[in-house]
Amino acid sequence: MTPLEQTPSPQENLPESLSSMIEGIQARMGKSADIIYRFISLGPLSAVIIFIEGLSEPQELIKAIHKDANLFHEIDEFHPQTCLKLLQERTLTLGKVGEICNYTEAENELLSGNTIVFIEGSRVALSAGTEALKQRGVEDAVSQSVVRGPREGFTESLRENTALIRRRIHNPKLRIEERRLGEQTHTNIAVMYIEGNADPIVLQELRNRLDKARLDSVLESNYIEEVIQDKHYSPFPTVYNTERPDVTASALLEGRIAILTEGTPFVLVVPALLVQFFQSSEDYYQRSDFASLVRLLRYFCFAVALLTPSFYIAITTFHQEMIPTTLLISLIGQREGIPFPAFLEAFIMEITFEVLREAGIRLPKSIGQSVSIVGTLVIGQAAVDAGLVSAAMVIVVSITAIANFALPAFNVGISVRMLRFVLMAIAASFGLYGMIIAMIMLGLHLCSLDSVGVPYMTSLAPMRWQSQKDTFIRVSRRGMKKYFGRN
Amino acid sequence: MRGRRILTLLLLLSLLPLTGCWSRKELNDLALVMALGIDLDPEGYAVTVQVMNPSEAGNQKGASSGSLPVATYKSVGKTVPDALQRMLSLTPRMLYLSHIRVLVFGEALARSGVSNALDYISRDNQLRTDFYLLVAKNAKASTVLEVITPFEHIPANSLYSSILVSHKKWAATGKVTLQQFITELERGGSNPIMSGVQLQGEAADAETTENVRSISPKALIEHAGIAVFKKDKLVGWLGEPLSKTVNYTLNNVDSTAGNVPDPNGGTAGFIVTRADTSMKIRLNEQDKPEFTVRLDIEANLTTVEGTLDLNKPSSIVGIEKNLEKRFDDRFSSDIRMIQQRYNSDIFGFGEALHRQYPHLWKEYREHWEDSFKTVKVQVQSHVVIRRIGSVIQPLRRELEEK
Repeated sequence: MTPLEQTPSPQENLPESLSSMIEGIQARMGKSADIIYRFISLGPLSAVIIFIEGLSEPQELIKAIHKDANLFHEIDEFHPQTCLKLLQERTLTLGKVGEICNYTEAENELLSGNTIVFIEGSRVALSAGTEALKQRGVEDAVSQSVVRGPREGFTESLRENTALIRRRIHNPKLRIEERRLGEQTHTNIAVMYIEGNADPIVLQELRNRLDKARLDSVLESNYIEEVIQDKHYSPFPTVYNTERPDVTASALLEGRIAILTEGTPFVLVVPALLVQFFQSSEDYYQRSDFASLVRLLRYFCFAVALLTPSFYIAITTFHQEMIPTTLLISLIGQREGIPFPAFLEAFIMEITFEVLREAGIRLPKSIGQSVSIVGTLVIGQAAVDAGLVSAAMVIVVSITAIANFALPAFNVGISVRMLRFVLMAIAASFGLYGMIIAMIMLGLHLCSLDSVGVPYMTSLAPMRWQSQKDTFIRVSRRGMKKYFGRN
Repeated sequence: MRGRRILTLLLLLSLLPLTGCWSRKELNDLALVMALGIDLDPEGYAVTVQVMNPSEAGNQKGASSGSLPVATYKSVGKTVPDALQRMLSLTPRMLYLSHIRVLVFGEALARSGVSNALDYISRDNQLRTDFYLLVAKNAKASTVLEVITPFEHIPANSLYSSILVSHKKWAATGKVTLQQFITELERGGSNPIMSGVQLQGEAADAETTENVRSISPKALIEHAGIAVFKKDKLVGWLGEPLSKTVNYTLNNVDSTAGNVPDPNGGTAGFIVTRADTSMKIRLNEQDKPEFTVRLDIEANLTTVEGTLDLNKPSSIVGIEKNLEKRFDDRFSSDIRMIQQRYNSDIFGFGEALHRQYPHLWKEYREHWEDSFKTVKVQVQSHVVIRRIGSVIQPLRRELEEK
């Protein structure tokens, strides 16, 4: 705390008198109804307790002051400074008490839910940690649920979240660096890492990016994700996000860095590699052989979700000679009387599906069900019966959709959904040849990506043989001696 | 860095206009040709195509509108592509040749030479090369393509799968693809063969669905042995036993059945489960090549009619010996017959000689046909009976013992 004597800038310093203090606060924060001023007397001195109702719980503090009221009468010399010292050292039974001497600090403390005690005549105020911890409890992680494994998910409270991680890693080297971001919101951000595991270069790079970030507000971790990611135009996410403390903990142990944001259960993890988006926390909670097979299945699903519609378009409009004859006969029979070209047919179906999905997300569960019934009937049965789309196309679109849901990371699913349409258009104009070129370009793009300075395709390009034990497959723990970042 | 990136992008983009893929065609713009038939015509060629009718053939629900799953179109032209072009005046859609299953030549065309017609077929990049070549025995190709077949909706498919099945289990038909035919045709020391088909029944009955309304169809397509070619001209037909001999010698037999007298005077039926043929060449004192065809056959007994005591190993050995003798005799006489009557080296003896004695081949190259006629061929077969089925003694023997 800055001592009283070193006065930084005059207009921000706290005044001596009680009334001008209140006026000063009101001038800065307006006469908001939820700012409470409670006057008390400490012996002969009068004082005010200022707090924001709802954000803070000052009951403990007030009780403690009242209990010790006699103490102040016993003091011979009523000097505000001694009084303040007495308050700080003997009376306030709270964990966090500090001195503040200017309005900016006072404002911040109030807005964080702390309570300010100001004594007439002193130019220093006390701030006590009375943050109200009223919030929802720790619940299931909805976006990444598992069959076997911890069920806890992060909450909206930053402190609770750091505690959830601390509870998993009892390591004195676990570091938390806090800072505030957002010109208006002053949101608390915590950067967590394990000293010694995390790459100092990556850490420094991340700090630089956060320093440079000019944000007006931070309401969700994506605000931060967008300013720290390496490239803004890539469809692929270069920052991993998770709702699960166990995933965050394992990432920290692997030497990654977590960024926690006040007000959201979604924690960012950097550096993020492409292969990481195909891993589920459950891979490590199940037998390794099964986990390996499931992981391979996810890579397959990625390819299916990305390529099936475009592949279907390409071979049915350009490369009919590649289709086995009996299959071709059946496909031709189904396409008989369909008025649209295969591309348009696929496009209509995919768009319909996206509309249904978008409609279903925000609907209450009870209505969502009826939407999906209407959707299945409309898309599946009626469209085929009416001869608008072929039955094969319905199969293609549904396989694509289901494969898309099999991807464990939602944000890679989004990339796939966007790229699928691009590939469909390419397939419709250039056939398989165009698709191959698009795949080459996609490969080049993926290799050009970085996540906080670490190549996005790490473990494949640059190739790391040790990491192959946990890339496409997961070998059992006996075979896995080294982890990412330390090979 | 930025410049290089843009350059890479431009290079990749420039690949796109280089493609041959602008020829987009929707599935419902295509008339899928299932079989192609080529006949001789005074004006050149008469081409018949069997085209799939998608709303009938691809329809799974069986809601038939009364039309047939295929239709045939015919047209005449100076060349094959010419005729196909002219056919577009008849067909509602673009003819798509990639998926033809069989290519049928009329016998008249086959006798006058198929190489001109095959040139288009092998030159056209649209065609897959996995279809089979057939000759219509004593008929025009168009008659074979105008038969409604039971069971398989598309007659061409019926032909195609019956070639596969009969070749695999019966071994008296040829499974000749375009590639094989042309390879055999172009090498010096061999002549090609083709499989033959013929119409069984009346052509007039074959064309309508009435044909398949009856439990025993009035007209069917039947395999008619192997057609022997000399260069690109058909010179004759081989019946079932001769066709089998050819397939054995060409090492084309997977499995086939037959019967042989057993040592006790009965008849033993057998099924061949493995047949390996190898060709050996030996030069005699006058440096003339002599060929030995070695057959290794594994067979199972399928039936034993008579009273042979199968408990004795000697009985089995006896059957093996009989079989070997029969194979040796029949093959020698069959090969001699083909040598003398057709004088066409469909076995590829010349090719084998070429490979083993390239220098000697130079002497024969020009007049191999004359030498082939008199070349000495020996057959050595080795037969092993592996299994005799789930009973041991013949039923008849059991009855008589009681």
